[in-house]
Amino acid sequence: MIFRPKYFFGETFISLRRNFLMFFTAITTVAITLFIVGFFLIIIYDVQGVLTSVKSQVEVAVYLKDNITDELRTYLENEIKGWDEVSEVVYVSKDAALEKFKLENAGSEILKEIQGNPLPASFEVRLKSPEKVDQIALRFVTKDGTNVEGVDEVIYGQNYVQKIFSITAIAGSIAFLIIIILLLAAIVLIFNTIRLSIHARRKEIEVMKLVGATNWFVRIPFIFEGFFEGFVGSLISAVMLYFITNYLLIKGEKALADTMHVKDLAILGNTNVMLYIYAGIVIIGSLLGVLSSIFALKRYIRI
Amino acid sequence: MNMIEFRDVTKTYEDKTVALKNVNLTIKKGEFVFLVGPSGSGKSTLIKLLIREIAATGGSIFVAGRNISNLKFSRVPQLRRNIGSVFQDFKLLPNKTVFENIAFALEVIGKPSYVIKVQVPQVLKLVGLEHKLVSYPHQLSAGEQQRVSIARAFVNRPPILLADEPTGNLDPVNSDGIMKLLSRINLIGTTVAMATHDRSIVNSMRRRVIELEEGEVIRDQKRGVYGI
Repeated sequence: MIFRPKYFFGETFISLRRNFLMFFTAITTVAITLFIVGFFLIIIYDVQGVLTSVKSQVEVAVYLKDNITDELRTYLENEIKGWDEVSEVVYVSKDAALEKFKLENAGSEILKEIQGNPLPASFEVRLKSPEKVDQIALRFVTKDGTNVEGVDEVIYGQNYVQKIFSITAIAGSIAFLIIIILLLAAIVLIFNTIRLSIHARRKEIEVMKLVGATNWFVRIPFIFEGFFEGFVGSLISAVMLYFITNYLLIKGEKALADTMHVKDLAILGNTNVMLYIYAGIVIIGSLLGVLSSIFALKRYIRI
Repeated sequence: MNMIEFRDVTKTYEDKTVALKNVNLTIKKGEFVFLVGPSGSGKSTLIKLLIREIAATGGSIFVAGRNISNLKFSRVPQLRRNIGSVFQDFKLLPNKTVFENIAFALEVIGKPSYVIKVQVPQVLKLVGLEHKLVSYPHQLSAGEQQRVSIARAFVNRPPILLADEPTGNLDPVNSDGIMKLLSRINLIGTTVAMATHDRSIVNSMRRRVIELEEGEVIRDQKRGVYGI
């Protein structure tokens, strides 16, 4: 078959003008459904980011006894650094701990009451895999239940850490399920809309076949139209998502970071990932438009 | 030369109704043939088989000497470009003008636009509607619409023209006009086969009549009449 772009583009734009209502319906369907999918995707991505950031702040504080020898302290530090799960070990001396305490409680009455230095030295142990915090903490306990020599106390927020981990796991699978369901709903809605717009023009297909048009000649204008509907619709939803993200969600994220006392999360500010999401939506939309047209045509093309 | 030939053709639909039973017939190049018979006698099935809208269950069908019974799907468009078809319900596209409706038939078989610009006004002149180029189908009378549909079927100058009850929706005056048009097309050398219920048309034209009943050819008569 000779490819004749002038005919195909011409046909596409003539029918765009004459079937405006059908196109408008298809484009809004694509825009709205993909907007919902994209919106949830961004929210879920953001929540996951917040949880990851919370998890990464899980650390084990190993408080040392005041009478610990330098040799034992160095030995312990090297030992901990050697563990695979550990990403960083920071030694906080008694003096440093006091400095930090003073800084955190500047202007408070409590400082006047402190005499000498009651604060212990400690190791702050950061982990590569926060989920293993339990196992790490247990390594500081000997078989008879006491702490290893030189260690006074090990603290890692036993209670809330485990909760965060189980919530993250459940939230992750629920989020995945929601996205899948929304995406399926979007696919069904878009397919049905495009099928309806093709059904409305079945007479045209019948006539084309009757006068001897080849199947591809019948298909191509419809595929162009499907692409156009998918592309424009998804582009609209990507633009809406862009504005919502930049003028609403990023502000919410900052507020959340403030209440959680963590540094700015800047998850949605990561433009690379967001660009992938926008591009993904436009690609999925265009693809859905094309595939819906091809599948919907199957019924009408073999006359 | 045989333009159309049916050899022992049988067509059974999926619901087991037998539409054609061992039909044998030949139509020569340039003939004008009426297919008559009551509803359900197999006239439309015969036409659908010729344009390969459906496939025969048994036997062979030849068009211009070529066996189309086991034609590949990809060859069907080529067959249809050599057969013009006209229907009772016109099958015009409501959102296209008269010119566009006919041009469409040429566009979809890949004719360049300079050919279209010449051929469409020509064929509209033949059917007497050269002044209705920019009208939409709903602005035309039923008779005019059928003329447009004949123009569309004939614009590509196919050797065969099939008409399935082309006057079924028309009054006698308009029917008469359509028959004059089909006769003229036949005079140019086109083989015309027309299925009809219209007794007076068949009787006044005195052309070959093939009568079908319950899927069988029960009469094939030169210069015949509608019924005996």
